[in-house]
Amino acid sequence: MKKKCLALLMAGLMAVSMAGCSTPGSNVEKDSGTEGGGEEGAQKVFRYSITSDVSTLDPQKNNESTSATIGYHTGEGLTRSMDGVVHPGLAEEWEVSDDGLTYTFHLRDAKYSDGEKIKAQDFEYAMKRIVDPETASSFAFIAKPLENADEITAGKMDLDELGVEAVDDETLVCKLGFPAPYFLQVISMSQFYPTRKDMVEKYGDEFAADGEKNVYSGPFCLKEWKQNDRIILEKNPMYWDKDKVNLDRVEILIVADENTALAMYEAGELDYVNVPTDAVGNYPDAEFYKMGAEDFIKLNTGDGPLANKNFRLALNYGLDRSEFIKLSTNDVWEPATRFVLPDVGGAEGTFGEDYPYEAFPLEGDQKKAEEYLNTALKELGIASASDITLELLTSDMERTKKEAEVLQALLQEALGIKITIQMVPFTDRVERENKGEYQMVVSGILPDYPDPISFLESWETTSPYNHCNYSYEEYDNLLQKAYHTGDAKERMDTLAEAEKVFMEDGGLVPLQFRMNAKLVSEKVTGVTNYFSGYNINFIYADIK
Amino acid sequence: MAKYILKRVLISVVTLWVLVTVVFILVRCMPGEPFQGEKMTPEIKANLEAYYGFDKSLPEQYIMYIRNLLKGDFGYSMKYLNQSVNKIIAQSFPYSFDLGIRAIVFSVSFGIIFGIIAALNRGKRLDYLCVIIAILGTSIPDFIMGAILQYLFGIRWGLLPVAQYLGFKYTILPSVGVGFYTLAMVSRLMRASMLEVVGQDYIKTARSKGLSKAGIVCRHQIRNAITPVVTVLGPVVASVLCGTFVIESIFAIPGMGKYYVESVQNLDYSLVLGMTVFYGSFLILANLVVDILYGIIDPRIRLQESR
Repeated sequence: MKKKCLALLMAGLMAVSMAGCSTPGSNVEKDSGTEGGGEEGAQKVFRYSITSDVSTLDPQKNNESTSATIGYHTGEGLTRSMDGVVHPGLAEEWEVSDDGLTYTFHLRDAKYSDGEKIKAQDFEYAMKRIVDPETASSFAFIAKPLENADEITAGKMDLDELGVEAVDDETLVCKLGFPAPYFLQVISMSQFYPTRKDMVEKYGDEFAADGEKNVYSGPFCLKEWKQNDRIILEKNPMYWDKDKVNLDRVEILIVADENTALAMYEAGELDYVNVPTDAVGNYPDAEFYKMGAEDFIKLNTGDGPLANKNFRLALNYGLDRSEFIKLSTNDVWEPATRFVLPDVGGAEGTFGEDYPYEAFPLEGDQKKAEEYLNTALKELGIASASDITLELLTSDMERTKKEAEVLQALLQEALGIKITIQMVPFTDRVERENKGEYQMVVSGILPDYPDPISFLESWETTSPYNHCNYSYEEYDNLLQKAYHTGDAKERMDTLAEAEKVFMEDGGLVPLQFRMNAKLVSEKVTGVTNYFSGYNINFIYADIK
Repeated sequence: MAKYILKRVLISVVTLWVLVTVVFILVRCMPGEPFQGEKMTPEIKANLEAYYGFDKSLPEQYIMYIRNLLKGDFGYSMKYLNQSVNKIIAQSFPYSFDLGIRAIVFSVSFGIIFGIIAALNRGKRLDYLCVIIAILGTSIPDFIMGAILQYLFGIRWGLLPVAQYLGFKYTILPSVGVGFYTLAMVSRLMRASMLEVVGQDYIKTARSKGLSKAGIVCRHQIRNAITPVVTVLGPVVASVLCGTFVIESIFAIPGMGKYYVESVQNLDYSLVLGMTVFYGSFLILANLVVDILYGIIDPRIRLQESR
């Protein structure tokens, strides 16, 4: 009898839970626009999706591009960088001293979303917070141009010695440790957004963890952040340039599966979507843009055949990059025949326009490869190429696995050497890479700011990011020259020269520039993409 | 009885402590380091380690963790900065739980019905149909099943929403996706069990008494056949409530599954630990409740235990 009662009770409970209870998500605010999209009533809503939740919206701790994108729309720096061009942001104007070391910014009259005035002191506080060891920001390196920044992060100097000072409420002076023309780009990044001390002190570890736990200086406010589910932005009525902002609301859904996002776009539930690489063929209308990331084979030049310049060049000339792209990403990504992303800023136009360069032919050069290989074998005292075995380290993701296999096949065939693949989890790969425990590793760079130095700096002998034992005096000298010249044109010329020198030394094997393909609803206008600071820009977007 | 319950509770607490300790050690044995990046200098890394208390010795960290755990504090995630593990669990668990319950109700009820239909129509078309469903269910992995359901009902026919979890109609596809395997399993078990029961003496007796066929099936056959199905429900409930990662990601449901898998990949020590301890305590608690219930239902168990 007891059993029967229990069974009945269980059945009853189950039935109730099935029919009666609402789903946990059903209390999500369902404003206009969630169904059918676009404009309903007076509200203009833009909806897109990201594949994983942002890691943080704390401006100074911001450490990845999706966080940066949300930051870009909810905050503003002294400058605002748009498609790589610097515009005045919260600073109306600025002066740069002749030696390029002192920047004086004059703030415009602007307010936070809670109506309080944005003061120069808030910028000073933010910059000090980036480098403060107690903040423990993994992006502390970004403040490097500021005088004494690295020393303070290392705990060797006091916070007050940072090269920044708010002279009065509207004037901020920044002192640089070396001339860095890209400083105006750097301060457009979220780490440098004005930050209110009272907010940080009030919320402590939970600062910026929710919409109401921060104030906003940008075109939008963070209205709601449901972890792993959705981020809702609303127009900031206090933003100084609010008249140019047309959207009332932006809904950013977190959809892990790219194919699901595509299906949602097709069903009209999203206005913008990135097409997964393997589905690009089905969408001839998809528009391509560069993600900014570059992949390459990083070579540990410490010892063995890879310490030999001619051998490194043989690898570079032996690789048929067009075949590589065809086999690994079905021709969607762009082959890289040089090291620096051509889209970063140059002297006048982009770097690629100002300094066109092809380090290695797209299809490789078998003849040259053999010449270099033979010279290398002689120098190394190795009888035959088949005596050389190299290990290629890569992470165990589907894509990187495929890339490594294609590289193995192509290079073995071109040079007759033997390549073994070592596959490990991603975090393990990064650790081995940073400790220099590899011969060759499929690695990459996502530039922090659109300047060639973001690519080049890691191969300087003394760079803390040089994990491949690379050391080349001529290259070091060129970089040092670039660091110390105050002349922007001369600096760019020097960096272009450095890239060339680096490539002619076979410092690494460039592989590809990553591309995204996007679909945008016909109703939406004015959405742009860039590879640094944000990956999607909808400040000036509008709904027809 | 009190002694029996006390003993069960004590065993549960010890189990939990062992779990916490083992996981605490295991996460640190995973290859790789949590603070890695293209531009991670030793100085920045040292600051991060100090921030999370990793500069202290392992025993010190362990004591600190246990002390916080006793206060119910799982600490802060290392990937989702500023988000406490408690908050992440509190936000995501209701989704996984809701989906799991729905999937169980769906799969068990339909599984039993299919099993009965198949057994009663043994060797006929309906039987084959149910067997085919069962084979499909056990052999199609959930990521394929989810994608097929999504494509057919969401895109091709536009009957149900493609993704998200906002109301009843949103829950149908993911519940079916999660529950299909269990449904197949239950229906096979039910069918086999029904066929076994049909040959028993008491069925023959019932038949010879002149009971109607429907009466025999309902009152004798099903009631006796269902026992083995109920027995497997325990582990099934546990696996469904915890293991919906694939379906959650296909249908963009903000449940725990994604955090769990991601936190291991990211070496997010505090999140891995917090999630494991939470799931662990959940299962331990469920077992405890079952044990105590058994004790109440069956006097032999508690008598044996107290001896």
